[in-house]
Amino acid sequence: MPLPLYYFLSITAVNILLSWALYLPYRVAHLHFITVANMAISGYTAAWLVMTLNVPFAWALLAGFAMGGIVGWLVSLFIGDAPTFAVVIVGFTFIFIARTVIENLKAVGGTMGIFGLPNIGGSPDTHRWTIMAILAGLLLLVGFLLHRFDHSRLGRAASAVFVDKELAASLGVDIRGLGMLLQTVSCTIAGGAGVLYGFIYKSFHLDFFTFALVGIAMTIIFVGGYATQWGTVVLAPILYGVPLLFPPSIQEWRIVIYGALLVLVLVLKPEGFITRRFVFSIESFLSGSRKKRNIS
Amino acid sequence: MKKAFGVLIAAALLFSLVGCGQPAPKEWTIPFLNSLTGAIASIGEYLEWGAERAAKEINDAGGIKGKPVRIVGVDTALDPQKGSTEMARLVKDTLVALGPVPEPVIMASMPIAVENGMPSITATTSLEYAQKFFPWTISWFPSTQDRLAPLVAAWAKQFPDMKQVVQFVENYGPWPGMADAHVAGITGLGMKVLDKVEVPSDAVTFGPLVVKALNEKPDGIVFVCKPASAAKLIKELKNRGWKNMDHLLLFSSADAPDLYATGGKDINGAEIYNYINPNLDTPRWNAFKQAYASSHNGEQPPSLSTNYYDAVYMIKDAIEKTGVTGSPSKLKAERKMIADYMQNVKGFHGIMFDWDMKDGVPTNKPTYIFKIQDGQKVMVQEVK
Repeated sequence: MPLPLYYFLSITAVNILLSWALYLPYRVAHLHFITVANMAISGYTAAWLVMTLNVPFAWALLAGFAMGGIVGWLVSLFIGDAPTFAVVIVGFTFIFIARTVIENLKAVGGTMGIFGLPNIGGSPDTHRWTIMAILAGLLLLVGFLLHRFDHSRLGRAASAVFVDKELAASLGVDIRGLGMLLQTVSCTIAGGAGVLYGFIYKSFHLDFFTFALVGIAMTIIFVGGYATQWGTVVLAPILYGVPLLFPPSIQEWRIVIYGALLVLVLVLKPEGFITRRFVFSIESFLSGSRKKRNIS
Repeated sequence: MKKAFGVLIAAALLFSLVGCGQPAPKEWTIPFLNSLTGAIASIGEYLEWGAERAAKEINDAGGIKGKPVRIVGVDTALDPQKGSTEMARLVKDTLVALGPVPEPVIMASMPIAVENGMPSITATTSLEYAQKFFPWTISWFPSTQDRLAPLVAAWAKQFPDMKQVVQFVENYGPWPGMADAHVAGITGLGMKVLDKVEVPSDAVTFGPLVVKALNEKPDGIVFVCKPASAAKLIKELKNRGWKNMDHLLLFSSADAPDLYATGGKDINGAEIYNYINPNLDTPRWNAFKQAYASSHNGEQPPSLSTNYYDAVYMIKDAIEKTGVTGSPSKLKAERKMIADYMQNVKGFHGIMFDWDMKDGVPTNKPTYIFKIQDGQKVMVQEVK
């Protein structure tokens, strides 16, 4: 696989996973930025396990998922049913706490970071194919689960919570339980994504996990469409890939273009490009085609 | 159908042979992975200016082996994602590159250069980062511990009255390691180093930090933080009655335009260490200074502005002295020749001074301590 394609695909996949990790709790109006901190915590944990204890990558990756889930669950005990603003504040605070702890931990390189992560499977090619296979598998798995969730009772309950918490509660929705579940799953996904993110670069530095990452995920979700999982899938490669094709003179304006795009979309199309109605019509069309095929 | 298939096969074979006989290109293209946009775009601008300046001088003098050299700025926007993708694009056919800048992008993208055996000069980072990617890069600076301990000791020796020193330290990349080296130098003289005061990267108010430092009753203070933060800390110190300005020492990374713009006259008398001496009086340096001033509203060249200027000349030397042709068919071998040359170059004529490299590390670069006076640096001493 050509190297630029590998980096484009793998980083896009991580961006999609991170965006989905933010999308999921946003279904109950929780902007859960702790996901970015969880990427760092799980990533550094996995790197430490591999580099210091010689733990095989597969186990380190699982530990990363587990670490993300545990941290997410612990935090969700306190903010499972908190208002959006409180969740945002906790998320930002957690990013600061995670950064401060990591930069003071000599065992994970402190402010210098961790260098020279080994190739999975021993060779660069095997490393790349393994990373790509894991990411592809994860995208399919998480995408499938999100799709199932969106079409389940839980998904409808989440939609009710998003619109009106009190109304949802009066309908019997366990707001706290649902919030905790979504936050925990979201952090589990982010934990795994964080491990893979660092292993793509074969190094970890705290500046891989900055607010810029929050900005990327936010733009992907809100421009792509926050009401369905598909906006993320469409926008992540566009947002990351298209600027690479810009001539240098336009690249300098990249951040301005992102900002203008975000503002324009929020004003003109608040639900983003891929709306729930659009997805519904596509699904109806596809299911209609299927029926026709079955009849013929 | 068979005929068409045969034609296709023949065409494919023909195209596959085209690469084998590719002639050397008509110019030397050197990509520079640099942060041209984003938070450190102003630094990226003068790093690139230095490289472009060297290319212009070389081209005016006939180029490298008779062919012009061209620096191609590749913006990584301080973004590891973009940096790695750009590096992945470059490693296919680039002979040698400059950058990346700064540390997060270096860590994300240099492993790609190493894996593909492409030399890329990371001339702004410390040895502690660069050495992880040897031999495919070189360090522009000697070991932090070896270099900074004697340097700070030389500063402290000036003041026999100084007994206790405190450090303001910002947790970024190699900076805590530099602060540790300062401690070694100062304690080696029998002075006491008090607890460091951590400067948050996003600090807005500096009064509480200064109060915390002054509570420890220091006689001297070392600043290991961003230029603007250092300037604001010094202003707060003066507001709280600090008098001994030369008992303040700023580390090299604070020597940037923001320091002088933010500090103004309030930082007069403070001392600062660095690796270049702007007071040097040679035709080459004077021409550099003049050219920089004319393209930057009369400003003096910042301390890092010469790094990639020298790096381009080092690449020129490597190409000329190792017989590199630039032919795509010899890419792998010629990349290795350049990397090997740079690892152990002897008597390299930098714009400021000559120096040697041993196994990728400079062995005899001098350092300087200056006193700041009205935005200018007045030499106090050279430390070798």
